[in-house]
Amino acid sequence: MAKNSLYIVIVGCGRLGSYLANHLSGVGHSVVVIEKDEANFDNLSPDFSGFRLGADATHLEVLKQAKLDKADVFVATTREDNVNLMVAQVARKVFFVSIVLARVFDPKREQIYTQLGIRTICPTSVAAELFLQAIKDADNTHKAGKK
Amino acid sequence: MENKAILIVDDEKNIRLTLYQALESLNLPIQTAVNGEEALQKLAGNKYSLMLLDLKMPGMSGMQLLRKVREKWPKIRVIIITAHGTIESAVEALKLGAVDFIQKPFTPVEIRELATKVLEREKLDGENVADYRSLIELAKRNITDGWYDDAAKMTQKAISADSGQPEAYNLLGALLEIKGDIPNALKYYRTAINIDATYKPAWANLDRATSSRKFGKINLGIETPEKADVEKTGHGDKDGEK
Amino acid sequence: MKILIIGSGKTLYFLCRNFTSAGYDVVIINRNRRECQNLAKELKAKVVYGDGSDVKVLMEAGAMGADVVLAITPHDQDNLIICQLAAIQFSVPRTVALANDPDNVEIFEQLGVRTFSTTLIIGSLIEQRASLEQIINLLPIGGGRVNVTEILLDDESPVVGKHLKNIALPENVLIAVLIRNGQPIIPGGATQLRAGDRIVLVTLPANHGPALKAITGKKG
Repeated sequence: MAKNSLYIVIVGCGRLGSYLANHLSGVGHSVVVIEKDEANFDNLSPDFSGFRLGADATHLEVLKQAKLDKADVFVATTREDNVNLMVAQVARKVFFVSIVLARVFDPKREQIYTQLGIRTICPTSVAAELFLQAIKDADNTHKAGKK
Repeated sequence: MENKAILIVDDEKNIRLTLYQALESLNLPIQTAVNGEEALQKLAGNKYSLMLLDLKMPGMSGMQLLRKVREKWPKIRVIIITAHGTIESAVEALKLGAVDFIQKPFTPVEIRELATKVLEREKLDGENVADYRSLIELAKRNITDGWYDDAAKMTQKAISADSGQPEAYNLLGALLEIKGDIPNALKYYRTAINIDATYKPAWANLDRATSSRKFGKINLGIETPEKADVEKTGHGDKDGEK
Repeated sequence: MKILIIGSGKTLYFLCRNFTSAGYDVVIINRNRRECQNLAKELKAKVVYGDGSDVKVLMEAGAMGADVVLAITPHDQDNLIICQLAAIQFSVPRTVALANDPDNVEIFEQLGVRTFSTTLIIGSLIEQRASLEQIINLLPIGGGRVNVTEILLDDESPVVGKHLKNIALPENVLIAVLIRNGQPIIPGGATQLRAGDRIVLVTLPANHGPALKAITGKKG
């Protein structure tokens, strides 16, 4: 294991969570995935070399069990904004994890929590930006073609 | 004991992989086994200094394997890997020489440090050891070898070296519990708690020893109290040796 | 006073009923259509259907003008976010969250949200030896780190007839108030305790048992 390998805790093993877990563990980081519904662990690749914790991350005991105090990175990827925002805050303010990220679908909530110092990634906003950019580019190309 | 191999016994591929990667830098040969039967085969053919054993395995259980290993290869040191909330027979594990436990999930650093500690422990010389930490390690080695009286002596010495540490009292309590002297064992666990009310391994032992079901491990403590992150009452206590 | 409550079930219903009879202006946010219809029928409160942790819904429910927001859903994470949104986005002066998991009380308080836990309250009632008839238990304070208990002194209490300064109480025990004939008295050293007095005791949990024993003369 590389000396600079990180201890990463990921909450949620859906499409995003498992993608991150597979990739990060593949490049040599030590990954723990916390997921309430154990069926979702099937999303992990057979080469996944990290730990699985089939439990509810909104319980403090579970975060302790995942040894969050030793985590370098914490990523919250469940489908519920509120769960992600809650566990992200706990990771940051209670366990002092240095890199904390939360997926938040609702752009309005995202704005507020950015103010609270929680780094969020809003698929809605990101997708919207990319779509708008794509439309602009396509439109420019279209206009250029007409000239 | 130098340059002898490490054997990893775990049915889960990702755990074997994690352990392998974590321990690579120790520069010892590492082999793996997916279950008790394979472990026995490997043990028969090779010399190992350290075995990492997951208690929860299908087929031959970790405890059964541990018993066999103790009979045939008593010199092998064992680190037990537990899952959260596992119920194991307390005193039994200790009598089989298991003094080191680590709970999943663990960081590569944790397992590396624990393995190093266990291997270093072999080099300790009873005559020349005077500091608290080494005395405790020596006591643990004595427990692994089944020399409980020597272990108790070492622990007493450790207390003379530093009477303000809860770990030594907790250890003495565990030794008394092995001998079957529960009332005095409880006294020592309580002493450990009086010294440090946050010392969780003693709480775990106290809860376990005073509950009517004698389940759970005897908890031998964690070196750095600020990293203690353990368990509660009733069943399956663990401890993370670092 | 305008109170905005987010939750469901009996607790929500009865709380609202109490608040409306006290004359408060109550708005409910609830996620179940059928429940919303029933609540609207039975209570004198405005009912808004939706997710209380959605900024739009909070706006519709008039969070801007609310004095209190109370989040008592079964999901701790929702209660936390609701209170934070109310405080930050809508500047609601008082927000209170229910933590179903008692471990979350301290966490939420650390995150700046006033929180209570029914588990802790009920648990504390049991632990404070509510079985003794003379003892009525009040709220645990400070996350269960301080006990406040009301005890009725009867003729058998060893402290009856004694002056406070002559009563040997364990350490970290305080007789904060006594209520005599319905009148609260803050006792001084010279106050003499009488049968029929109700004393309000403040203790740390470790001394609670000995304190009760000293005052009632009975083992818990």
